[in-house]
Order: sequence, then structure tokens, then C-alpha cells
Amino acid sequence: MDIIFSVIREDTFWRILLFCHFLVAVALLAAVTLQAASVLTSARQVAGNFIDRFSPVPAASYAAVIVLLYMPQALLGAWIYLKYRLYVRIPMEQLRHWWTLGAFEFKEHIIAMGIGLFPAYWYLWRQPLSDEDANLRRWLTVFLAVTVWYAFGAGHVANDFRGIGS
Amino acid sequence: MTQTVDVDERSSQLDSSVAMDASTSVTHRSAKVRTFAFTFGIAFTLLYTVFERLNWPLFTYQPAAGRLYFWLHRPLSGEGPPMYWYGWIVNAAIAAFVVGWIATTISGQWLRRATVFCCTLGALWPAALAALRIYITDWATFDADFLDSVWVAAPPAFVAAAAITYFVPSRLAERVWTSWLLIVPIGGLVVLGYSLLQYFVR
Repeated sequence: MDIIFSVIREDTFWRILLFCHFLVAVALLAAVTLQAASVLTSARQVAGNFIDRFSPVPAASYAAVIVLLYMPQALLGAWIYLKYRLYVRIPMEQLRHWWTLGAFEFKEHIIAMGIGLFPAYWYLWRQPLSDEDANLRRWLTVFLAVTVWYAFGAGHVANDFRGIGS
Repeated sequence: MTQTVDVDERSSQLDSSVAMDASTSVTHRSAKVRTFAFTFGIAFTLLYTVFERLNWPLFTYQPAAGRLYFWLHRPLSGEGPPMYWYGWIVNAAIAAFVVGWIATTISGQWLRRATVFCCTLGALWPAALAALRIYITDWATFDADFLDSVWVAAPPAFVAAAAITYFVPSRLAERVWTSWLLIVPIGGLVVLGYSLLQYFVR
């Protein structure tokens, strides 16, 4: 770390890291949203409902991207969390931003749940896809999408409190 | 000529038998991976909730001091705020890994029964503790503070979970097994979310 800090300032380093966290989050958000939309719309099409013209990319195509992005993103977040605990959370408490703080605490839990379900997610999207687990695969994908969306929202609010551009 | 045909037939039978063995082995391995992945998911989400509620991290990190302590460490003066989240996750991951590995070594029927037992226990234990606390504050006519303990709440929760597991039909236990993968994390998030209510009602 000392070598890095001899090249760039410490706060600049953490800001770059936070920006990388944001970029990966956007990519992950796109992938999980498209996959969730794909599994939900395919279920509707089978049921004979509308959205006939919408032909999504096969949901399985996103699985590899999500597998590649989710864990590194969680690790990156866990690293940045060190700075959050000292330089963001303490002022948050002092300024009584309880809603932001509570929302971020919940983010920690929802991400932990996502990490725990990840091996099952990976298994469910392995080729060939099993028909037996189709329903579970659909709802687990939606759950994972919800975790990513929530984490993105809560992280964004925390960043607005003290982060890039705040 | 006849001998050649015989040898060819035997060789073809051997090939198909080897192929069948390989296919069975792949199916068997895939079933084990499935059991492990699903059990890990159920166990991790359940244990993470339990460890967070009981505050049982594997280690505590003090970011201001840059120190790592085994298990739960209450910060000394000047050490700054402690971080338990990493410790809960690692603790839950290790425990869930062990549970997942055990799951691959036992029969499916036992696994489904054990899952029902553990998930029911996970719900009943805190419920029993909450009931005890209500009894202590609203009903007890004597000093019943000694009842306010997770260990006092354990025996009734164990007995009730064992009774429910005994009476749940095997078919139902088998049918809902994969559903625990969604029920447990959602239930865990409800519990954890409720514990954060203090932040939203200030």
C-alpha cells in the first residue's frame, strides 16, 4: 500500500477504488436486470400473456457475466467498507443521518445473503439447464437482482453523503 | 471369424458398460454438487442471521488500530469502532461449508429431515426467547430475569422443532427442500431488517 500511496494521494486512491466499485456495480446491475427480465418474461410468454414482440437474449448468457462480476464486486465493496466504517459512518452518526445508516446496515445483510446463495445460483445456471429447478432458478435470479438493486441504491445514498462528488 | 465377432461384441459391451459407468459417475457427482450448493445456501443464510443476532463473529477487526482479534472483541478506549461483519460472514461460510459437506455424505431423506429441523429451530428459538421476555416483563410475579437467556429458550425450541420434524410427512419435506433456499434468506432479512428498526423510528 505504501508504494501506491507514494505515487498517488491516499484519498485519491480510495476515490478511484470507489469509482471502480461504481463502474462494476453498473455493469452488474445491467446484467442482473436483463437476466431477471428475461426469466420473468419467458415465464409470461409460456403462460400465453403479452410482450410477444419482446425477444430477450437467453437468460443463461448473463450467468457467466454475473458470476464473474458479483464476487469481485462484493470483495471490492468489503475493502472500501473499511474506509466507510471510519470516515463515513462516524460523521453519519454525528449528523444523525439514521435512515442512511440503517439503509446501509441492511445493505451489508442483503449482500451477505447474496454471497451465501451464490453457489446455488452458479449451479442452477450450469449447462444443461435442468427443467426440474426452473422455478427456483427464476426466483433466485430475481432475488439476486433485488440484492444488487438494493445495494446499488443504498451505496449511492451513502456516496451522496460522503463520497465522489459529495 | 466367429472369434473376431465375439471379441468385437465383447469389446462393444465393455465400451457401453464403461460409458454407462462414466455417465452414472457424472450424474452422481452432479447430484452431490447440487446437494452441496443448495445446503450451503440454506445453511449460510440461516447461520449468518443467527451469528449476527447473537453477535458471534469469527474475528473482530479494528480498522483504526489495524488490529485483528479472534472472536468477539469489545473495543478498548482509543481503538475506534470495531467491525464484526467480516467475522460473521467468514464464520457463516466456514460453518455452512462443513454443513454442506456433511449433507453430501448422508442420505437425501435424512438431509431433508435435518433441513426441516434446523430451519424450524431457527424460527422457534428466537420466538421462544421473545415469548420468555414477554412473560418476564408482563406476566411474571417473581424475579424471573434468570429466564432471559438464549440457553433457557433452547430446550423448548429443540423439543418443538423435533416434534414438528417428526410429524412433517416425508413427501412434504422433499417437496419443500429447494424452497428453503428462498424462504430462509427472505426470513433472515425480515429478522435482520426488524433489528434495524431503531434507525428508522428515531
